[in-house]
Amino acid sequence: MKLERDVDGKKSARERGSKDESLPLVSLQNVDLGYDSTPVVRNVSLAIYPGGLIGLAGPNGSGKTTLFRAILGLLPILDGSLSRNCPLSAFGYVPQSAALDSQFPLSASEVVEMGAYGRVHSYQFLPPEEKDRRTEVLDQVGLPHLARRSFFSLSGGQKQRMLIARALMVNPKIMILDEPLSGVDEESRKSITDLLRNLTREKELAVFFSSHDLEMVQRVADSIVRVDKGKLWLEEGKARLQP
Amino acid sequence: MSTLFEIVRPSYLLFPALIGTLIMGLVCPLVGSYLVLRRTVFLGLTLPEIAAAGVAFTFWLQELGLLPQLGQSERGLAMLGSLVFTFLGMGLLGYLEQRSKGLAEGRLAVAYAFAGGLTILFMVFNPAGQIEVLNLLRGEVIALSRGELQLLAVVFGAVFLTMLIFRREFLLTSFDRDLAFLLKGHQVIWDVLLYLLAGLLIALGVIMAGPLLIFGFLVLPALAARPLVNRMSSFLILASVFGMVMAFFGFYSSVRLDLPLGPTDVTVGCCLIFLAYGVRRLSVKSVAATVLVLFATAFITCCSMVTPSTPVPEAKAVRSDRVWLAKVKNSTGLPLLLPSTNPLRSAGEMIGKVSSDYRQNVMDLLRDNLRQELQQSGYRVTLPEDTDARFPPFPADTNAALQLGRDGKLSGLVFVSEIWRWEGYPQQFVRVFVDFKLVRLEDGAVLWDRRVQRAVPTPSSTHLGQAYTDAIRAVVHEIFG
Repeated sequence: MKLERDVDGKKSARERGSKDESLPLVSLQNVDLGYDSTPVVRNVSLAIYPGGLIGLAGPNGSGKTTLFRAILGLLPILDGSLSRNCPLSAFGYVPQSAALDSQFPLSASEVVEMGAYGRVHSYQFLPPEEKDRRTEVLDQVGLPHLARRSFFSLSGGQKQRMLIARALMVNPKIMILDEPLSGVDEESRKSITDLLRNLTREKELAVFFSSHDLEMVQRVADSIVRVDKGKLWLEEGKARLQP
Repeated sequence: MSTLFEIVRPSYLLFPALIGTLIMGLVCPLVGSYLVLRRTVFLGLTLPEIAAAGVAFTFWLQELGLLPQLGQSERGLAMLGSLVFTFLGMGLLGYLEQRSKGLAEGRLAVAYAFAGGLTILFMVFNPAGQIEVLNLLRGEVIALSRGELQLLAVVFGAVFLTMLIFRREFLLTSFDRDLAFLLKGHQVIWDVLLYLLAGLLIALGVIMAGPLLIFGFLVLPALAARPLVNRMSSFLILASVFGMVMAFFGFYSSVRLDLPLGPTDVTVGCCLIFLAYGVRRLSVKSVAATVLVLFATAFITCCSMVTPSTPVPEAKAVRSDRVWLAKVKNSTGLPLLLPSTNPLRSAGEMIGKVSSDYRQNVMDLLRDNLRQELQQSGYRVTLPEDTDARFPPFPADTNAALQLGRDGKLSGLVFVSEIWRWEGYPQQFVRVFVDFKLVRLEDGAVLWDRRVQRAVPTPSSTHLGQAYTDAIRAVVHEIFG
C-alpha cells in the first residue's frame, strides 16, 4: 500500500511549521522507490530529526537523487509510507548547479530571491524585510560581494553557496543537498562543509546531503547512510533507521 | 525625416497599423522570452502554422455551407478558426509531451509539417476562397482598422498584465521546476497559463499580422536581448524595447522604401541580433560613440533625402506644346484589372457592344486621367501607338525610355509612367508606388520627374474598383498640383 502524508494536514501545511519536535521531520517506512513501477531502491526505512548532519553516500546511479526526490514529493513512492512533519515549503533544496539551465540571464541575487517566492504575493514587489533576509543569507554563505554578478559566471563552489543561500532564504527546517561538493575545489569544499556544520549546530537544522565520495562523507557527516545495489542502510550516527 | 514625422501623427492613415505593430512588439517578446529560455522556440513557429491551418479549414467549412457567410466579418470567422486550431494543437502537443517519450523537437517538426500540409490541402479543397485565405494568412497588418486595433489592444493588454503580475511564477516554473513545486505546489497551472497566453497572442496575431511577423516578434527581440543582459528583469524589459524598435523601424523602412511590412520587420529584428552580438564585444564608450554616429548619419541622410515636390510644368514653361503620352508600364506582376460593378457595362457586354474579354485596368484609367490633365496644362497630347501600334509601354528608366523613343523615331517630349506597386483595401486606402517622368527625346534631359509612394486614402470607396479609381484621381491631382 502506498502512503504519503503531511503530518500537519493538507490545508495548513504550508503555513504551519513542525508541531512536535520529538517527531521526525521526515519518516520513511518500507518504502520502494523508482521510476515507471521499476524499483531502484527497495524497502527504505529512515527517520530524519532536527539538528543532524546526515551524509548519503553511494556510487553514481545508486538512487541518491531518487531518494531525495521522493522525500521532496517530486517522485511518487512505489510502496510503503512516507510522512513529513513539516510542510514542503520548509524544505530547503539545493540541486546540483549543473542541472540548472545556463540559458537564463539571472544575477546571483535574483537566484537567491527565489527562495522567498513562496511568501511574496504575485502582485507585490519584494518587501524590505525579504531584502534584509537576502542580505543576511548572502552574509551567511560569505558571498555578499557577488550578489550582482551573473549567477552562471560564478565558479562551481560559489554557485553551490549561492544555491545554499537560496535554500536558506526559504527559512527551512530541513535542507536537502544533492551532491553539493562535486565539481568544487578544495577551498570551496571546506567552506561549504563548515557552513553545513554551522547550520546544524547553530540553527538546529537537519541537513541531509549526498555524495559519491564515501571518504568525504565520513569526514563531514554526523551520521552516514549508505545506498548501493538497491539497498539502503545506516552505517553510523544518530539518524535512525526505522524498524 | 518628413516620413518619420508623418507616420507618428495620429491623423496619419496608417497610424493604427503603426500602433498595432508597436503593441505586438511590446507584448510578444515577453511571452517569446520564455519560449527562448525554455528552449521551445519551435513552438513559436509551429503554433502560427497550426493557426493558419485553422483559418483555411474554417473557410473550407464555409464553402461547404457548414458555416454561415458573414460578408465583412470574415476576419472574425478566421479568428475563430485560428483560435480553435491553436488551442487544440496546444492541447494535443501538451498531451503528447506528458505521454510520449520521443523528442519534443520531433513532435513540433511533425506538427509543423502536418499543419503546413493541411493548410495547402484545405485551400485546394476551396478554390473559390483561396485568395481570401491567402490574404488573411499573409496577415497585412498595414490594413488594420481602428476596431481591430481596439481588439488587439484589449487582448494584448490583458496578456501584458498577466505576464507582469505572474512574472515570478513563470520564472520559477521555467528555471527550477522542483523549487517551484516546493514553494508553490503543482506548477502545471503556470505552464498551462503561459501556453494559453502564447496561444492567444498567436491566434490573434496570425490574423492581424501573419505567421512570419508574429513568429519574428516572439523570438527575435528575445534573442537580441539575451547576450546584452545578466538579469531576468533587464532581459524582459530589453526584449520588449527591442520588439518596439523592431516594430517602429520596420514600419518606417516599410513606408519609406515601400517594402512589405512583415518581412521588413523580421529583417530589422535579425539585424538587431547581429548588432547585439557585435555590441557585446565593444566597450561602453565605443557603443555610445557608435550609437551617436549612427543617429547623426540617419539624421543627415533623412534630411538630405527631402526633395521639393514640383507639379508637372506647363507647356509654355518647357517651350514645347507637344507630348507623347506613353502607355503606363505595369511592373507589379499583377493584372490590376478594375472589377466591374457597372450595370451599363454588363448590359453592353450582353448586347455585344463591349467585349467581355476586355476589362479596364489601372494603367488605362491612369493614362486617361493623365491625358486630360496634360491637355489642361496646355499640351497637345499624342499617343505613340497612333503612329505605330507596336509601341509598348515606356519604362521609367530614362535611358531605356530614350532608346525606345528613338527606335520608334519619336521626337519632342515623352511622358512616361511606371507602376511598381498598387494594392487596395476598400474603404481604407490604396498603397501606390508610381514613377512619372517628362523626358526630352532630343537630348535626353529629364524636365520633370516625380515618385508617388504612399497610401492614398479611399474611405468612401465601397469596392476595390472604386478605391482604384479614387486613388488614380488623387495621384494625378497630386502630380499636377
